[in-house]
Amino acid sequence: MDLLDNYKKAWSNQPEETNKLSAEEIYKMAHSKSSSIVKWIFIISILEFVVLNSLYFVIDTDETYTEYKKMGLENFIFYSQIVAYAILFYFLVMFYLNYRRISATDATYELMKKIIKTRKTVRNYVLFNLSYMALMMIVVTVTSINTNLNALNNKQIILIIITTLIVTLLILGVLWLFYQLLYGILLKKLNRNYKELAKLDNPN
Amino acid sequence: MQKDLETKFLSDFENNQNIAHKICRIYTTNQDAHNDLFQEITIQLWKNYPKFRGDSKFSTWMYRVALNTAISLYRKSTRTVKTQDFSDFAYKIKATDYDNTEELQLKALYSAIRKLNDIEKALIFLYLEDKPYKEISETLGISSVNARVKMNRAKEKLKKTLNP
Repeated sequence: MDLLDNYKKAWSNQPEETNKLSAEEIYKMAHSKSSSIVKWIFIISILEFVVLNSLYFVIDTDETYTEYKKMGLENFIFYSQIVAYAILFYFLVMFYLNYRRISATDATYELMKKIIKTRKTVRNYVLFNLSYMALMMIVVTVTSINTNLNALNNKQIILIIITTLIVTLLILGVLWLFYQLLYGILLKKLNRNYKELAKLDNPN
Repeated sequence: MQKDLETKFLSDFENNQNIAHKICRIYTTNQDAHNDLFQEITIQLWKNYPKFRGDSKFSTWMYRVALNTAISLYRKSTRTVKTQDFSDFAYKIKATDYDNTEELQLKALYSAIRKLNDIEKALIFLYLEDKPYKEISETLGISSVNARVKMNRAKEKLKKTLNP
């Protein structure tokens, strides 16, 4: 340990920073805008909630509603939207509560857990939303095949099913890649450090 | 009330700012990033200051918030342009009445610490600052046994870089 002891002595003898800040400069800094990862997570999450929900305004036109009505799906759409909004509300509350719990005064490990938990709440909402969209697509396709059963031959039915499947998978795939990339960039450092501490906690 | 809190914060922080500077020096590699991280630490300290009850020393509390900022909250600023590297970090150290061997040791120590990962940096930093294991494990939120195990590994790694 003597090698490090020497360096430790050099460390404790190191001169004070020459670029010290005055109280006035500190005051200015303390009141400037944070660009912390938590702030980014907050902004991106809010954007996700807004974007995902404004999608429905684009899709939910009178025209699509008449289509739904023709297929006899209006009740299903109505109730499933109520459920979707209830779930959205639940996720928003959970997200906000988790976000509020994040505090820089926590122990490092705790802080990381809370940040990751907040992020996961939004990720789960996105997953829920994508599954909801996929379900809608499947229900609408199945019903439209059913209502037009007599007018379609087997070849056409298979074609519709395959096209719907491919389109759904493609949309989900692209969105999924986008999210992996977004989270990957945003949380790379945090995940790495979290793993390092978690490894410590369970040394096996 | 707010004014009192502010005055107290400013004097507490002004007297202890060296802690933040040291942390910035080990977690960043150029002056711009140093200033950026320092600013974020200042913001986080001030934001959380109302929660500081004074049942621990301000410095103890500051170690925790500043390290948390460096490890978990700070994101490399995109506006960071490559400026002078810390290899000319020596300009900050006044050579007067200062032992040259120690100056060299300090330089070598900083560059060796920068090669460690973020968690190891925190462990070594707290060791160099003479913090007891209890405080180290509480700051990081891990058990004291694990802090010891990891500390020994980090020290070994550091020694290997210092004396290959």
